[in-house]
Amino acid sequence: MNSLIKLELTRALRNRKFLFFSVIYPSTLFLLIAGSAGATDKIDGTGLTVATYMMVSMASFGALTAVLMGNSERIAKERESGWVRQLRLTPLPGRGYVIAKTASAAVVSLPSIVIVFLVAATVKDVRLDAWQWLALTGAIWAGSLVFAALGVAIGYLATGDAVRPITMITYFGLSLLGGLWMPATTFPQWLQDIAKWLPTHAYAALGQAIEQSQSPSSKDVALLVVYFALFAGGAAWLYRKDTLKA
Amino acid sequence: MVLMTTTATTTTPVVGFDQVSKTYGDVRAVDGLTLALHPGETVALLGPNGAGKSTALDLLLGLRQADSGTVRVFGSSPREAIVAGRVGAMLQSGGLMDEVTVAELVRLACDLHPKAYPLTEVLARADIAQIADRKVNKLSGGQAQRVRFALATAGDSDLIVLDEPTTGMDVSARQSFWATMREQADQGRTVLFATHYLEEADAIADRVLVLHRGRLLADGTAAEIKAKAGARKVAFDLDGEIDEAPIRELPFLTSVDISGQTIRIQSTDADATVHALYGLGVYPRNLEVAGLGLEQAFVAITAAEEAKSK
Repeated sequence: MNSLIKLELTRALRNRKFLFFSVIYPSTLFLLIAGSAGATDKIDGTGLTVATYMMVSMASFGALTAVLMGNSERIAKERESGWVRQLRLTPLPGRGYVIAKTASAAVVSLPSIVIVFLVAATVKDVRLDAWQWLALTGAIWAGSLVFAALGVAIGYLATGDAVRPITMITYFGLSLLGGLWMPATTFPQWLQDIAKWLPTHAYAALGQAIEQSQSPSSKDVALLVVYFALFAGGAAWLYRKDTLKA
Repeated sequence: MVLMTTTATTTTPVVGFDQVSKTYGDVRAVDGLTLALHPGETVALLGPNGAGKSTALDLLLGLRQADSGTVRVFGSSPREAIVAGRVGAMLQSGGLMDEVTVAELVRLACDLHPKAYPLTEVLARADIAQIADRKVNKLSGGQAQRVRFALATAGDSDLIVLDEPTTGMDVSARQSFWATMREQADQGRTVLFATHYLEEADAIADRVLVLHRGRLLADGTAAEIKAKAGARKVAFDLDGEIDEAPIRELPFLTSVDISGQTIRIQSTDADATVHALYGLGVYPRNLEVAGLGLEQAFVAITAAEEAKSK
């Protein structure tokens, strides 16, 4: 399986468009959004500066991009092309394909998180304790598994033609409504009521809690666990269905 | 119905289908198929489109599950045989991973195979060493087929399964492909290939299976299949107005084609047909009697089956 992970990674690192959107784009977007804000401007109700708050949002957004886009479109296309069938004629275990995809996406998502942090620290002077940086990296990286599972599920659900629009709608919908681009507190109340149940909202809230030196709310952790179980279970079910169909 | 007799003394068949059926909706793609392949055989699987060839190969490779009956490969399940590295397969629908080079992809196949050959050897055998650095998505159809062949022969497998392997190859590529394939068979491997090029089955296979509507219609050497079709071709010219009715009523006919002054007949007993032809009092010129090629034999067998089922 290691050889497939290696090859998937080689391919991901060769894909400039994918690297741009998952590694460069989030930090660029961070500079655009946080760039005009003053060093002391705070986000209402959080006690965090705009730069600090948006750093977590954009790091989460970058990780989301890497794992969701990396998985869904490739899987749908490769199911259609027959590569998935071809792999089933090798001794590679069935889950090996999905694991290799997710592992290579996770390798790309790590730099996308770290680069946002570096830009935030150097350009916008975001300062946190060492344990906070480490905890943030770990939490955002681990939390991205929820969306990796969602990507796999979409990949096994959608056809090659439909996968891009479905992924895009899911991706932008979750990013926007989950408050990754602008704080959900700026939404009208009814939208806030929806947003707080989205996995992206809980995901970013993890990181914000760490920045506030608080332990993450149990509701957010529970939400992420439930979403992960839902997405991973759905992906496993769709995978098995696809396998029986050949 | 042929039942497989497997006792402790007989060797385990390479592939054993026992009363295997597979239905999609109302269509019986494979219908009570029973067959056994033996070590070292080179077997062609023939059949018109929709005959169930691809489904049969999918069942053999464990890509689909039979509704009923059992499929065994080297005495175990298809998946177990693949995991043990005993089966190499090349699918018609086998996609390739794109954006990687040919060498990278073939190396992956070598890494995954428990009894892998060295990469350079695999590339050379498939005749793709010169395109090893090319991206997979930049290959021509024939080159992609050779890469698929390399994936199927990355290791020392005992059974090689090929689904229409020469699709997209030109004539010379096809010839060199089969030369390579023969070497594989000469090393004692069992080779099973589906094809719609009947001359390939005729030239390469030492056993031909004819599949029609999911059932095994004929099983024998190419010569036996031709004999089973029984028919020989009779062609001749007649002058003047041709009275079609008595010609169509000649004995032992399986088909008649009258175009202009030329009459082409297929007969299961050419001697008797020609004798009766002279009995009509006509004077056939340019009379030719010839055996059928495998292709015509194949058409004759499947047409006879169609007629029976109507």
